[in-house]
Amino acid sequence: MITIAIAKGRMQESALALLARAGIRPCDTANNSRRLALADETGQYRFIFVKPADVPVYVEHGIADCGVVGRDVLLESEADLLLPLDLGIARCRIVVAAADPEAMTKVQGMIRVATKYSQIASAHFGARGIPVEIIQLSGSVELAPALGLADVIVDLVETGQTLRENGLTVVEEIAESTGRLVVNRASYQLKAEEVSRLLNALTTT
Amino acid sequence: MRYYIGAEARLRRTVEDVAMSVFEGWNYEEVITPSVDYYDLFEQGMGQREAQRGFRFTDNDGRLLALRPDVTSSVARMAATLLSERPRPLRFCYAAPVFRQQTQSHAEWRRENTQLGCELIGSGGKPADLEILSLAAEILSRLNLQSRYCITINNVEIFNGVAAQMNLTPAAREQLRRLIDTREAAELRRFLQEYDSRAGEAFSQPTQLTGKRDVIKTARRLITNERSVAALNSLEELWAEIESLNLQDSFEIDLGDVSSLDYYTGLSLKIFVRGAGTSVGRGGRYDGLTGSFGRAEPAVGFVLNLDALTEVLGREGAQR
Repeated sequence: MITIAIAKGRMQESALALLARAGIRPCDTANNSRRLALADETGQYRFIFVKPADVPVYVEHGIADCGVVGRDVLLESEADLLLPLDLGIARCRIVVAAADPEAMTKVQGMIRVATKYSQIASAHFGARGIPVEIIQLSGSVELAPALGLADVIVDLVETGQTLRENGLTVVEEIAESTGRLVVNRASYQLKAEEVSRLLNALTTT
Repeated sequence: MRYYIGAEARLRRTVEDVAMSVFEGWNYEEVITPSVDYYDLFEQGMGQREAQRGFRFTDNDGRLLALRPDVTSSVARMAATLLSERPRPLRFCYAAPVFRQQTQSHAEWRRENTQLGCELIGSGGKPADLEILSLAAEILSRLNLQSRYCITINNVEIFNGVAAQMNLTPAAREQLRRLIDTREAAELRRFLQEYDSRAGEAFSQPTQLTGKRDVIKTARRLITNERSVAALNSLEELWAEIESLNLQDSFEIDLGDVSSLDYYTGLSLKIFVRGAGTSVGRGGRYDGLTGSFGRAEPAVGFVLNLDALTEVLGREGAQR
């Protein structure tokens, strides 16, 4: 049996829809909406639902053989995983946004960056030699510039609606993020047959 | 930082004894190398990137020391200097803790690991490679892990040949290596489009990279450069020997194992056991290593992680 860790939240619904198209369905989701572990109809798969940032952790330790999680989370985690499939779901962008479109050139000395993605942010600015102070937040990052906590933010954007409502515009795009299938290195070898069956099922949908 | 108490300590010692007795049965002599040595030794032996993971500190005179991050460097230097006159081949084994700094997120979080390892120095080619693989298989089956372990083999020259043919800059070569290592198929295909490389496509199908003999057949259709083909030939010959020993169920070819290209020069191997989330051992051929200590000769070896093996076997014992 293969255990698949699925990121809760925005990824969950499209991940389950994609798996269903590939013929892999958790049994009786409606009645189990609060359960965190479910088997599929055939008994070949087990699903566990965890916070996005925990998906790489479960998979890297081999507790889950595979996972479905956004590239944004993977860039942040630095976990050592195999990334064989881009599922193309839950597409969004990781961007730098600010109230002033010229913020990047106007700010002198050091830019204050509020973000949930401190690794991605420091790698992005570090690679270009721009000195920044990273302010780690865990949510509602869009508030930070308006309240004067930061000059810019690094965050995930789907439609741009939240940014606009908070008077922010995109100044730079750092990366595109989509849902990925990740695989534990040991499971890839030890459960090779099951893993390739899953890969093939997902590739042909 | 881990304590072993009572039954766990006994189990750990049993695992160590089993491995060392198998080594002894194949005429491998035990060596005990210094825990602390000059950092230079390890940088020469492992390359800068790996050696930097060692814990470093200074001696009274300011010279840089390190807690040994591996044993192979010391054994290779010993063979090239202290034992340069001894008839070849040399066979050595050890059970020794090594110390490495670990990145925070890593599942291999332990700073101290005991390696059960062996080195076969001064003997090249297929027989030596096969000896090492048979040894590893024997230890694992003596530990009752039969049919629950998998040893993957590859020859790093397959990748090296393709990369050389594509004429990549060091940065692009590293990117190609990383994309193959993490099996990022879509990104890899995008990367390869720029180079118009048919050979590179051999690495772009994650499900065709690993398997039995067929993997080599598939790869041959796309890879035609001389260097890679020679490596494919020697991998295929090795596979035939594995089949003749009836070990093919425990072995896999994995052309995507390109994790330590700078270190290995031919065969590379990784060892996986059901119940462990990461590999429990690795090894390969490193013909370039002893040369850096002044006496170039072929060498091949592997290590098993005693702590990881103890954990798998201990968890199993607890369930029983």
